Amino acid sequence: MSSEPLLSVRGVHRRFGTGPTLVHALRGVSFDVAAGSMVALVGRSGSGKTTLLNVIGGLDRPDTGTVHVNGTDVTALDEDGLSLLRREKVSYVFQSFGLIPVLSAAENVAAPLRLARVAPAQRERRVELLLELVGLADHARQRPTELSGGQQQRVAIARALAASPRLLLADEPTGQLDAETGLSVMALLRGVVESEGVTVLVSTHDAVMMALADRVIRIHDGHLHEQAAGQPYESTPDVG
Amino acid sequence: MLRLVSRRARAQWPLLAALLGVVTIGATLLGTCTLLVTRTAERALEVAMARAAPADVDVTVYTGTVEGRDASSVTADTRTALTSALAPFAVTTSARASTVLRALPPELAPGTTVAAQAYLSGLDDLPARAELVTGRWPQHPGDAVLLEPTAERLGLTPGRRVRLGAELAHPPVPALEVTVVGVVRPLSGRGWDRDPLAAAGSATGYRDGRFLQPVNAYGPFLVDLADLVTTGATIDRMEVTAHPDLSHPNRRDLEAAAGAVRRADRALAGALGDRVQLARVSSDLPLTLRAADDQLHVTAAVVLAIAVLGGVLTATALVLAGRLTAGIRADETALRSTLGTSRRQLAATATLEAGLVAVVAAALAIPASSALHAGLTHLSPLDDAGLTVRPASTSAQILAVAAGALVLAAVLTVLAIRPVPAAGDRRTRRELLARSGADLMLAVFAAVGWWQLYAQPATAGPPDAVVLAPALLLTAGAALALRVVLPALRGVDRLAYRARGLALPLAVSEAARRPQAVAAGLLVGLTCAAGTFGLALGTTWHQSQRDQAALSVGTDLALTLSTAPVAGEGAAVSAATSGTVSPALDRGTAVGQWLGTAGDAPRLVAIDTTRADALLRGRLDSDRDWADVGATLAPRTRVTGIAIPTAAPLVLSGTAAGDTSLTVTPRLLLQDTTGLRTSCTGPAVPLDGREYPLPACATADGQRLVAVVLPVSADAAGGPVAVTVTLTVPPASSTERSTDGSDWTATSAPPVPSKVRDPSVTLSNTSTGTALRMAATVDLGGADDAARTLVATAFPDPGPVPAAVSARFASEAGASTGSQLSVTVGTTPVPIVVTEVVPTVPSAPGAVAVLADLDTLSRARVVTGDLTFPVDAWWVGHPAGPGAAERATALHLGTVTTREAETARLAGGPLRAGLPAALRLIVPAAALLLLAGVVLHVTCDVQVRAVEVARLRGLGMSRRDIRAVLLGQHVGVLLPLLAAGAAVGALTTRVVAPLLVRSDTGAAPVPAAQPHWPWPAEATLLVVLLTGCVLAVAAVVTVQVRRADAAHLRVAP
Repeated sequence: MSSEPLLSVRGVHRRFGTGPTLVHALRGVSFDVAAGSMVALVGRSGSGKTTLLNVIGGLDRPDTGTVHVNGTDVTALDEDGLSLLRREKVSYVFQSFGLIPVLSAAENVAAPLRLARVAPAQRERRVELLLELVGLADHARQRPTELSGGQQQRVAIARALAASPRLLLADEPTGQLDAETGLSVMALLRGVVESEGVTVLVSTHDAVMMALADRVIRIHDGHLHEQAAGQPYESTPDVG
Repeated sequence: MLRLVSRRARAQWPLLAALLGVVTIGATLLGTCTLLVTRTAERALEVAMARAAPADVDVTVYTGTVEGRDASSVTADTRTALTSALAPFAVTTSARASTVLRALPPELAPGTTVAAQAYLSGLDDLPARAELVTGRWPQHPGDAVLLEPTAERLGLTPGRRVRLGAELAHPPVPALEVTVVGVVRPLSGRGWDRDPLAAAGSATGYRDGRFLQPVNAYGPFLVDLADLVTTGATIDRMEVTAHPDLSHPNRRDLEAAAGAVRRADRALAGALGDRVQLARVSSDLPLTLRAADDQLHVTAAVVLAIAVLGGVLTATALVLAGRLTAGIRADETALRSTLGTSRRQLAATATLEAGLVAVVAAALAIPASSALHAGLTHLSPLDDAGLTVRPASTSAQILAVAAGALVLAAVLTVLAIRPVPAAGDRRTRRELLARSGADLMLAVFAAVGWWQLYAQPATAGPPDAVVLAPALLLTAGAALALRVVLPALRGVDRLAYRARGLALPLAVSEAARRPQAVAAGLLVGLTCAAGTFGLALGTTWHQSQRDQAALSVGTDLALTLSTAPVAGEGAAVSAATSGTVSPALDRGTAVGQWLGTAGDAPRLVAIDTTRADALLRGRLDSDRDWADVGATLAPRTRVTGIAIPTAAPLVLSGTAAGDTSLTVTPRLLLQDTTGLRTSCTGPAVPLDGREYPLPACATADGQRLVAVVLPVSADAAGGPVAVTVTLTVPPASSTERSTDGSDWTATSAPPVPSKVRDPSVTLSNTSTGTALRMAATVDLGGADDAARTLVATAFPDPGPVPAAVSARFASEAGASTGSQLSVTVGTTPVPIVVTEVVPTVPSAPGAVAVLADLDTLSRARVVTGDLTFPVDAWWVGHPAGPGAAERATALHLGTVTTREAETARLAGGPLRAGLPAALRLIVPAAALLLLAGVVLHVTCDVQVRAVEVARLRGLGMSRRDIRAVLLGQHVGVLLPLLAAGAAVGALTTRVVAPLLVRSDTGAAPVPAAQPHWPWPAEATLLVVLLTGCVLAVAAVVTVQVRRADAAHLRVAP
C-alpha cells in the first residue's frame, strides 16, 4: 500500500434545489482512501451515499471541494476527461446491476474493453477470464433478463473489472439481492480486492459487508463519520 | 374517477396531447374526405351540369307532318310541354319548321322536264344562323329571304314576289305568295345540317319520301317562324328545342327534370293528340345526369379508399401511442389493481379518458376538416374546376368525424385495458402465433381485395373492394415487410460486432434486439408505403388520363367538321393553328358484310400517314411508335398531278369515231396543298371535236388536278367506238410547274370495265397549257344506262390499301397480318390488307377499328370512279401556342377538341377533381403521422432508458457517444423500415394503382393504365421523411441525453 491515497476527497459540498426545496446532500466531506483497500460507506437512505459516489466518479459535480483519484483532480476535468477517467480508472457497480439489456453477459463485460478499443482477441480472453472469475463462464451468451439477480450483479462486477480500474465504486450492490446471494457477491468483491488489487468504495446497509471492509465510513445528513471496521452500525460513534 | 383522469391529464399532458393530436388528424382526414364525397360532389354535379354542352342537356321535340291549321297550336303546345317538363328550370325554346314541297313557277327553273319544287322554312333566331348578304331580314308577313345558292339558281333578287303553288302529294291548299326581301349566307355550325337540303340551296333528283318521282328541289324560302305557322302551309318537319337554364341547379331538380324528360314522349302524345303524325322527344339530359353520377361514384370510391387508408394510418399511430401510454402507466395500473381497483373500474376510467379525447378531437376536427376542405377547394384542380367553397360544416361531415373519433377512442380504450405484455425481448409462443395469425389474415384479405379489383368487369364501375383494397394491401405489405426487416437487422447485428468500438455494435444491437415495437415498425413502414403509394397513384392516375385523352382525341387538335370541307380550308386551319394539318376520315364502316356487334360499328380512321409521327397520339405499348406504323401504311410516292390556275377555265374537247353522237360529263378531282381532294363536275360535253370550257373548278391557290372521270353517254346503242378526249389545263404561275411527271394511268371503272377497252392517257405540254389526252374504245352495246366510265388518274391503282387494325378488330374479325378484307367507305367497298395489329387506333379507343392512309384510301376509290373524298375532320399535330384551339374555333368550321382540353376535362373536370385533391391529403397526413409516431416512440423509448443512458456514462461513454448510439439505433431501425415501406408502396402501386384507375364512365380505361413511379418525387418524399425523422430523433435524443444525469442513478429501480 503506497503512502499516497488513491482517493482524496476534500471539502465537498453538494446541494440540490433552491429555496424551501433546498437539500444539502454533502456538507464539507473530506476523506482519503488508500489504494488496494475496501471501504464501506454506510448511512440511511437519503444520507448522501449515492451523491458522494457520483461526485467521486465524475457523474456529478460538487458545488465546492475537490476530488482526486490516483492523482487526477476529478472536479477539474471536462466531459471528455471524465469519460476517460471512468473508462480507465474508475468503474461502477450499481444497485440495480445496470447491465445493458440487449447485450449478452459476455457482451456486457466486453463493453468497457470496446470503449478502450482493446484488440478483439485480447478482449475475448479478458472477458473469458472475468466470467470465469465471477463463476459465470457457462452463462456468457445469456442476456440479463435470463439471469438471476445475483448472476446479473456478478456480471456487473465482471464488467466493472474489465478495464482494470484503479477504483471501483459500488452503490449498494447487494440492495436487491437476498442475504445468501448478497453474501456471495460481497465475498466476490472482497476477493477482487485481494486478487486484482482494486480499491473498492462500496455503499451499503449490509452489516456483513461492513464486516468484510477494511474501513467503514458513516455518512449522516451530509456529514462524514468514521468507525472501526467490524463494529455494529448503530453503535458507531461519530468521528467528525 | 374524473378527478383521477383530470390530475393524470395535468401530469401527462404531453402524452395526452400526442394522443389527441393523432385522433384529431384521423378525424380531420375523415371529415375532409367526407366533405369531398358529399359537399364537393354535389357542387361538382351542379357545376358539371351548368357547364354541360347544350347538346347534352337540350330537349328537342321532333314533329312530323302537321296540317297548316294546327301548326300554330302544335308549336305552342310543344313549347308548353317542354317548359313544363323542365320545370323549375327556366327554359328558352327555339323552333324551326319546314313545309312540304310546293310547286315553283316553271319560269324560275327553265330547261328541265323535272318538276321544280320549293319549300319554306321558319327559324326562331334566323339572324344568329345566317349572315345577311343583301336586302334585309323578314319583318312582315310574307317576307322571305333566300340562301345565296338558291337565289343564284332561281335568279331571285330582293323585291321579287314568288308564288308557291300546290303542295306536293298533299290535298290542295291555297297558294302562297312571298316577297324576297334579302339574300343570306348560312353560317357554319348553326344547325343547317338539319335543313332538308343541308343548306345546299337546291338538289336535282330529290326525293322527299312523299312522292315517288324525283323532283328538283329549291329552298328554303326563309320566313319568320310565327309567320310560317299561320300561313296554312303543311309542316313537313318541325323541331322545338328547349334549353334549360342550369346555372343554379340542384340534384333534386335535375333528377325531377330528367324523370320528366323520360316520360315526355307519353305526355307529349297526350298533349298533341292526332294533330301530328309523329312526335318524338329526344334529349341526352337523363344520360348526362347518369354519366355525371357514374363519374362521381368512381371519384367517391377512390376518395373513400384514401379515407380508409388514412383511418388505418391513424389507427396504427394510435395503437402505438396507446401502447406507449399503457407502458408508461403500467406501474400506476399495477398499483391501482393492488389497491383493489377492479378491471371494470379500470375500463371505466380508460373509457372516460378516451371519450374525453374523442370529444375534444371531434370538436377540433370538425372546424379543422371544414377549413382543410375549403383550403383544398382553393387549390388546383378543385379551384380550376370551379368548386371553391367557404368553410362550412355538414351533418354528414359531423357524423363522420364523430364516428371516426369514437372508433379511434375505442381503440385507445381497448389498448388501455388489455394486459401489458411482459417485459423482455423475447416473444412468447402465444404472442408469436397471434402475430402470425394476424399477418396471415391480413394477407388473405389483401389477396381477396386485389382479386376483386383484378376481376372487376371492364365495363362496370368500380367494385366496393376499391374502398378497402389499397389499405389492406398496404397494411399487409407493411406487416410482412416487418418480418423481413427484423432478420435483416439481426444479420447486420452479427456483422456490426466485428467492429472494435462500442457505439456501432451497441446501436445495431439496440435496433436489432430491443423488444420490437411492432406498432412503431408498422407505423413507419405503413406511413412510408402509404405516402409513396399516394404519390405514385396520383402520377399513375394523371398519366392514364393523359393517355386516355391522347387516344380519345387521336391527335393534338381535332376539328370535326359540320359541313363538307372546301378547297383551301386546310390552309386556313394550318394558318390558324400553325401545326401539321391533315384531313382525316373518322367514321363507322362495314367490314365486308360485318357491321360490328350490338351497335358497336367498326371504325375507320384515315389520315396522312406520311406525317403519322406528328399527327397521331396514343400509347402503343410497344417499342414501335406511330411513325413506324405510319411508314407501313403510307404510299410510296406522293401525288402531285397538274397545277391548275385559280379561276381559269379548263377546256375539254373530244372526238368519237363514226357517226355516233357521244357525250361525256367530266368530273375532275383536285387536290389542294394540304392533301384535301375536292371534286368538280362539268356539264355534258359532246364529243364533236369542238372545245368546251369547263366551269372554273380551282377555287383556291395551289390546287392540282389528280384525276379525271369521264362517263360516256350515247344517244343510241351500237358497237365499239373509239373516243379521244383532251383536257387542256391552262398554264399555272411561272413559279409552279404544271406537271411533275406523275404516273398518269387510265382505267375503266366498274361495274362493267369491259365497256371501256384499251384506256390510255398521255400528257403533253402545248402552247395553251398542259394537255391530258385520254383515249379508249367504248362499247355502246347493251343497256342504255350501262356505265361506260373512263378514269384517268395521276397515280396507278394502289391495290389493297395497307391498314393497321386494332387488337380488338383482329380478335373479333379473326384478322392477322396479311389478311385481306374489304371496308366500305360511303358506298364503295375498298380492299384492305392488314399490315399491322396495334393495341388500339387513335380516336377509336378500344374499338374495332382500322387505321389507313387517307391518300391511299382515296386512290383506291378514285380508280373505281368514286371521286368523293371522305373527310370528317381536320387533324392538327403540334399546334402552336395555347390559343390554337380558340383560333381554330373562330373558323366556325366545326367542333374543336384538343388533347390538352380533354386531359384537363378528364383530370380536372368538376366531377373528377375530388380524386387528385384527396390524393393530396394522404401524403402530408402520412408524413405527419409518421413524424408524430416517431417522436412519440423515441421520446418514450429514451425516457424509459434514461437510467440506462446514465449508466452508459458510468461505463465511460461520453454524451456524444451515447447520442450517436441512440441516434444510430433509431436511424438503423428507420432506414430499413422506410426502405421496406417504399418497396411496399412501389409493389402496391404496381399491382393496385392501375386497377384503381377508371375512365370517366367508370369502365376500364383505354389504354389500360400503367403504373408510374415518379422517381424524383418519391426520392424527395423519402429524403423529407428520413430527414424529418432523423431531425426529430436527434432533437429528442439530445434533450433526453442531456437530462440523463446522476439524478437518474439516484432514483434508479
